[in-house]
Amino acid sequence: QVSVLYFARSAELAGLRCETLSVPREITSLQLWEEIVKVHPRLAVIRDQVVFAVRQEYVLLGDQLLVLQPGDEVAIIPPISGG
Amino acid sequence: MEESEDVPKDFIKLKSEKLSVDEVSELVVSPYCGAVSLFIGTTRNNFEGKKVIHLEYEAYTSMAETEIKKICRDVRQKWPSVKHIALHHRLGVVPITEASVIIAVSSPHRAESLEAVTYCINTLKASVPIWKKEIYEDEYSWKENKECFWANSEK
Repeated sequence: QVSVLYFARSAELAGLRCETLSVPREITSLQLWEEIVKVHPRLAVIRDQVVFAVRQEYVLLGDQLLVLQPGDEVAIIPPISGG
Repeated sequence: MEESEDVPKDFIKLKSEKLSVDEVSELVVSPYCGAVSLFIGTTRNNFEGKKVIHLEYEAYTSMAETEIKKICRDVRQKWPSVKHIALHHRLGVVPITEASVIIAVSSPHRAESLEAVTYCINTLKASVPIWKKEIYEDEYSWKENKECFWANSEK
């Protein structure tokens, strides 16, 4: 069970900012994205523009294998625009 | 005693209240430093012919603070003579002409603080999870920094 955080455009598309999801402990970042899109299909349109932050480290959507612990924070990070 | 009071410090703040240039520059002033360099990011009133009413910022606050701390650490590695670094970023609604971000760096001589401030703002735009929404008269737009490597920009 991980905490998924939504920001900016992804929060608008998902309709929420935070929720708990059950996902496999070991999963690739792309598979994790697909799990999230199953719950929030409207997110599919931003697939090519987002990265994850897993335990506050950026992770690209792809083959990278994630080893998740219960309570880990996973954030959907649309293109940033600070400053 | 004087030396321990002037240990190099990082002053990082994300806040919704109006930012103060006086406050930020005073944080970094030091008797050992002959230079304080400053960057202020302000809000333009137009984008591609559209009138901007105001900006709204949101942040992944805990990670943003961590990423800003990394920037400060990198600055100190690249420019060891840098004394204090202050980086204040505003969140929530920012009216036109008000500051969204103020960065101040002090160093004994000017070259290091000038270069460090440039590095701070450029790296912030590439790596800190903060998002800006431009509000126009009848629509809005989530902005994307060109420094952000996962933005689609010109693909």
